[in-house]
Order: sequence, then C-alpha cells, then structure tokens
Amino acid sequence: MSESTSSESDHQEDEWQDLEEDREDVQVVSLFDNKVFMDVPSMLDYCKKTYNFDFAAAQKILGLDFYGRIKLVNYIRYEVKNGNLQPDISSADNFSDDKYLQPALEDDALLFYADELEDEEIDAAIPSKGKENAQPIPALDPEARIKQLEEQLEKAQFQFAEYRKAAQNSLDKRWQDLDGADDGPADTSKQASQRDEDYFDSYSYNDIHETMLKDTIRTDAYRDFIYENKHLFKDKIVLDVGCGTGILSMFCARAGAAQVYAVDNSNIIEKAKENIATNGLSKQITCIRGKIEEIKLPVEKVDILVSEWMGYCLLYEAMLNSVLWARDKYLQPDGLMVPSHCVLHIAPLMDPDYVSENVEFWYDVYGFDMSAMMAKIYDDVLIKTVKKTSLAGKSSPFFTLPLHDITVADLTFRKDFSMEIENNIENLDGWVLWFDTFFLPSRTAALPATPRAEEWSDLTKPGVAFTTGPNGKETHWQSGLMLIDRKVHQPKALGQGSKISGSIGYMEAGSNKRGLEVEVTWHVEGSSEHGQQIWYVQ
Amino acid sequence: MANNASSQPPLTGQDPLAAMAHSEAHYFNSYNHHGIHEEMLKDEVRTRSYRDAIYQNRHLFKDKIVLDVGCGTGILSMFAVRAGAKHVVGVDMSTIIDKAKEIVEVNGMTSQITLIQGKMEEVKLPFDKVDIIVSEWMGYFLLYESMLDTVLYARDRYLNKDGLIFPDTATIHMAGIEDGDYKEEKIGCELWDNVWGFDYSPLKHTALSEPLVDTVDMKAVVTDPATVIKFDLYTVTADDLAFSMPFQLQARRNDFVHALIAWFDIEFAACHKPIKFSTGPHTKYTHWKQTVFYIPTVLTVTDGEYISGVLETKPNTKNRRDLDIKVTYKLETDDITRNAEGQAEYKMC
Repeated sequence: MSESTSSESDHQEDEWQDLEEDREDVQVVSLFDNKVFMDVPSMLDYCKKTYNFDFAAAQKILGLDFYGRIKLVNYIRYEVKNGNLQPDISSADNFSDDKYLQPALEDDALLFYADELEDEEIDAAIPSKGKENAQPIPALDPEARIKQLEEQLEKAQFQFAEYRKAAQNSLDKRWQDLDGADDGPADTSKQASQRDEDYFDSYSYNDIHETMLKDTIRTDAYRDFIYENKHLFKDKIVLDVGCGTGILSMFCARAGAAQVYAVDNSNIIEKAKENIATNGLSKQITCIRGKIEEIKLPVEKVDILVSEWMGYCLLYEAMLNSVLWARDKYLQPDGLMVPSHCVLHIAPLMDPDYVSENVEFWYDVYGFDMSAMMAKIYDDVLIKTVKKTSLAGKSSPFFTLPLHDITVADLTFRKDFSMEIENNIENLDGWVLWFDTFFLPSRTAALPATPRAEEWSDLTKPGVAFTTGPNGKETHWQSGLMLIDRKVHQPKALGQGSKISGSIGYMEAGSNKRGLEVEVTWHVEGSSEHGQQIWYVQ
Repeated sequence: MANNASSQPPLTGQDPLAAMAHSEAHYFNSYNHHGIHEEMLKDEVRTRSYRDAIYQNRHLFKDKIVLDVGCGTGILSMFAVRAGAKHVVGVDMSTIIDKAKEIVEVNGMTSQITLIQGKMEEVKLPFDKVDIIVSEWMGYFLLYESMLDTVLYARDRYLNKDGLIFPDTATIHMAGIEDGDYKEEKIGCELWDNVWGFDYSPLKHTALSEPLVDTVDMKAVVTDPATVIKFDLYTVTADDLAFSMPFQLQARRNDFVHALIAWFDIEFAACHKPIKFSTGPHTKYTHWKQTVFYIPTVLTVTDGEYISGVLETKPNTKNRRDLDIKVTYKLETDDITRNAEGQAEYKMC
C-alpha cells in the first residue's frame, strides 16, 4: 500500500481500516500526480494542500451535478496528462463536452465515488481547518458505521453503473431487445441468464414506468381497493413483490400498514427509494433489491401480499410464479392476496378494417405483392387495442385464477369455452383474449360463475375490479388478437345466434422461457365451420 | 405492429453484424423490426412522393443503372425497374434484405434487381459507376439516425459525374409554438410532481433533455417558419452535417412560446416537374412528424416581434447516429419586462 499523507483525525482512519475486511481496497490516484491514496478525502486533501486545488469549493462554485463532477475529474486528468497542471476551471463550459464523461484514467476510483463528492459529504469527510465549527464525524458504533458505508457503497455502485451506461451511450439504452437470442448454438445457460438480465433491465428505465404509472385504470384500482379498505391494512405487515417505482407500497403505507417490504430486482428500486424518501415514508417501507426467491425478508410472515404482476394475456412474462412462491413462503395462512382473482376471457373477432389494413394491404403495395412482410401475422398473438365494435359476440370467461390457492402447475391448462355470435358476420376473423382483475376484501369472498369486471361498478359488489378488454378503457396491456390463418382456413359466414364452442390452452413455449403458447380449437354448432390453431406471445 | 423480429431466417455464412460495435449492430438490427418498414410504406406522403418522382420521370430512368441506398423492403428499387431502369442495385445492412429478396422474386424482378446485404462502405457493387442514386435516408429531425452520410459516400464513390440523386434537396425549418397544456402533459412537469398524491420528482430530471417527436397542431404555431439550413445533396459533405446556424422567427400574434419545433422539406429537383413534400405542421401527416424542443423559459411575444437564436447540431462523438443539439434563443423586444433569453441542450438517442 502506498503512503497516505492524510494527517487528519486518527479515529477517521481507524474507521476506514475497520472497513477493509468488508470492502475492496481502494486506490485513488491524485488528480495532479501519480501519488496513490487509500481513500478519496485524503487524496482531495492532498490536492488542496499541494496544488491549491479545492475540489469541494470548485464544484460548489460551479454548481456541478453528478455528471458535472465526473466531467470535472476527467477534464483535470486529461489536462494534467497533457502537461497542464493548472487547468482552467473558471467556468463549467470548459469541460461541458460529453467527451469528458469518458474516463481519463482506467478504473478511476475517484469516479466510482463521484456521488460522494457532493459538497456536504466532502465537508463532513474532510474536517476543514477553516471551519470553526466543523463537526467531527459522529462516533457511531463501528457496526452502524459499516452498514452506513455499505449503503453508500451500494449507492455509489448504482450511480457508477448509471454513469457507465451514459458513457457508453449505446442505442439500446431504453429497450433491451428481448429477441436477442440469436440463431445457432450457444451456451444455453448463459443465454438464459442473459435473458433474465435483459428482462430486468427492460424494467429499469423511467419510460416504461411512466407508461405503467399513467395507466390509470390499473393504478386507480389498486389505490381504490387499498384506500377503501384501510381497516385491512391498518398495522399489518405487507409484502410488495416487484414494487417498481414503489407506488403500491406507498398506498399501503398511507393506508396504515405497520411495515411494507418492497422488493424488486431492477435498478428502478433506487428510484423507489428516492420516491419513498421524498414522500417521508422511509420508516414504513423497506426496499430490498433482489429476486424474491433469493433475498431474505427480515420477517417470517406477512399479512398481505400486494403485487402488480400481470403480463400480456395475463401470463406472458411469468411474474406470477414468483408471486406464488412468495405467497407460499411468506403469507400467513389467513393472509390476503391483493389482487385476489384474475379471470381470462375470449371473444370472437370480426374486424374487416383491421384485416384490410394489415393483411390485404400487403398483397398490393403500390402495385407490388409484399405479402412476404406479413409472414408471421398469423403466428403471433398481436397485442392491440381492440374496439368493442370488433367483437362479434359476448366474451366467454374461460378460466378464473383464485390467487389464494392457485399453484404454478395450474398455470398450464386447457379450458372449454362457449359463445354466441350476436349479428350475422361475413367471416370469423379470429379471437380476442384479455383478462379482468378482482380485488376482494377477504379470502372467502367468491366470484360469480361468469364474472365481468365491467359490471363491478355496482356498489353492492364487494371490492374493486378492472378489465383490460374492449369493454373497458384502454390499458397498457391492451388485448391479445389472434387472427385465423386464411391461407389454411377458408372463412365462412356465420348467422346471428350461431353457437361456438371450443377449448383454449396455455403452455410455456419451448425455447423462450418467458414466451407463451396459446392453442384454440373451435367448432360451430350445426355448421362445418371448425378449426384449430396455435399462436405465440413473444 | 406485429413484432416479427424473431422471424428472420438465420443468416447464412458470415454474419456481417458480428464484427460491429454493439450500438452499431443494434442500429442495424433495430431496422429489422418490420414495424418501421410497415410504418414507412404506409406513410403515403413519403411513398407516393418517391413513386411519383420516379414514375413521372421515365425518360431519366430509362436504361439507367440505379443504386438504392438503404433499400429496406425494396420498394424504391421496384419503382425504378417499373420506370425502365436497366438494372438496380439495392444495398441494406439489415436482414430486412431477405424480405426484399422474397418480394422482388414474387414480383418477377430478380433479373433486374441485385440486392446486397452489407455496409455501403464495404460491399462490392457489380458496377463501378451508377447513373442515379435513389435513397430514403431521412430520420427524425432529418438527421437523427439518418443515412445521409452513407448516401454521400455512395455519391462520391459510385455516382457518374452527371448522375442524379433522388431526392436532392433537404431543408430544415423551425417555428415557435404555444404549448402550455401539452408541455405539462407530455413532459409531465406536473405529472411527476403529483402522481396519485405522491411526489415523484426524482423521475422528472430525465424528461426535458430529449426533444419530443410528435405531431404539432398548426393552431399552436405562433411564429412564421424560418429556414435554418438547406442541404444540396450534390455538394454537401459529411462535415456539413455538424452545423451551427442562426434563425429568426417572427411572431404572428400575441401569445406565449413554450417550445421551438423543427421539421424538414424534401425536394426531387431533378424531376421534369419538381416534386416536393414537407413534414411540417401545416401539411399532411408523415411518420416523421415534427420535433419539439421545449425551452426552459416561457417567452411572452407580441405580434411582429422576433425570436432570434442559433440551432447547433452535431453527431455525438461516441455514437454518430445520435445527435447533440443546442438551441439558444432570445426574444428581441424593447419591453424590458418581457426580456428573455436562454439556451438548452438536447440529445437525440
């Protein structure tokens, strides 16, 4: 180890030494020469004394933010590298160029701590002789201090990761391509973990959370249920699985929950922490980053499990498995699931406009046959907003998922449905798939045989419900549109009152573990119209 | 749009994307998504302009060798064949070229169109020189993710001395708009301050530095439009794509200005009768929409006054398809109570 020229308070050094078992050795290179220090404050102090450069004062005067500090550090290092020991820092404009996000020094530990370079923290970390009333670092007991510093380190790591992303400035910063698994053989376990990372990363940027927050139908339903049932939440322990920006946890805390554990495996949890702190709920809500199956909750059991886990066509993206795992491990035997039920619906589709714009269009594009462009239109479940008028009949609720009792094995299923065509139609174009979500206030409350969320506004009904289907307002889930393949299936006209019965199956699609395979078989009573087709949600 | 990105057949032979930097490969891959091609083909202003420019000038295309830079689904190549071209070479980096091949074959043009997957700078063309370059290279704000530099490379390397470029002129315009409600709604200034009764301001800081690509209602436009820069594709160089240009916007009524918008016009001046289209707020929708730059101050303008400013644009040093944009603005007024000026930096990435 190299020398430390810090002549400052001994107990401060002791504390840093205490920490060495827990954190990697840090080597901070001086801004102006090759001297190496064990920590940032000593290095900055050295620069101040030897080179008359006061980082804390400089960044305060220049009003630098996190990236500004990083640019300043790199700017100085570049200048020094080029032989200029007195870089011009009279204005932040001198180093505003984004090229200064590029580290001047490989693995520059100083950048790693750029978050801690904020003036207050430096003031605290470097006892300044100029300040009469400079506070010594409070004599925390060593364990508390370790914990505090570990938290700081974690925060710094997060910030550093963010910074690296910004520096890379890559195009894919918003949406990881979930189709990233290329053809050809590859290490499948590696692929799987890559896929996991992509999945979590795709949830860590603001915009998807903005979209999801703005999805008022959904968020309102959670809010209404929680606020209208405060007696259920009062003094309870709540677990929020996949907390995102923390909104559901905050609802629960405001409803009187004693403690909420908010768990998410995405970077967004850092934003959740900020949001929770901004709203003064840090005492009631504990944020934990990690997979629910891997983290350790500080409590054995919780009274309520709240989660917004639903994916496209309800089950695409497989978050429910984690929720059920958490339910089985942590929920009290008489605990409450919020929401409590989901119901899947299927309805017949007739939408000539959609078919003409998306199928027929390709057969004559400015006089050319471009049908090659729609090769897979019949293979995928298309996530679309479907107009109510495109439904050729009332939906059939084919599967109710009781979330208190359902198991992972139940999520692969085949169920029967039946429905009636309401008006004469020229063709049956396909099927529309959606789900309704119900929030019932007790484990024993039951749903009617054919539950429909759009009928739930009736005040005599218990709890809250919302639909993602064409009968309600648009949500980010939209509906799943499954077009019947006209290349293999001759469409037939169906008369009013025609009865369709069939079955629908959900199963995991083989290679893509978050993909979903949906199979529908159908026949029309008293008609030769029947068929079978498989679609993929991917 | 059906997301069919995973439907691409496996690449045979060497994957030309394999050797690229990740962000670059992503750029080319993102164009594989058929959604964007569908959007472009369904953009009638765009596709009809190209069709008319080509079909109405059969005398220019007859028996010519044509290069289609960034050919996508191959529609421009097929237009050129129908207009009488002797042979068309379509080049595209993306695997969409496999679809283009299918389409060209279905339409019986395989012998007249050669499709090559690769970077323009690296592929080997079957012709040393071409008579005409056609290309639909424009991105949002004209230059974002644009292929103009590739077109310029193709021009310098392949175009005959008196060859033609379709289109050959591109112009960026700006105007000021009143947009109070919209600014709130889209940028979410209010939104993040109050989401279901909670303060979400930590999410807010990222929202302002990216310009917004959106359709602007003509009624919102407060100033006359001003031309900022005009590119002549026969003479422009790649260096010219980083520019700093002054503009002056004259207010046409008493109003507020919350944002400046930019759009572009395209012209096929080589045509017998020139064909133009605009992506501005005053005319028919295109998929390019307009680009909105919210400014940090609200300008209170009076009819006849000028907002003067500078638009500075340069490709990002790390990812050349990204843009760094800087806008400075000043309200020229004698009324000291309304004096306002400022600047803002934006990133399109």
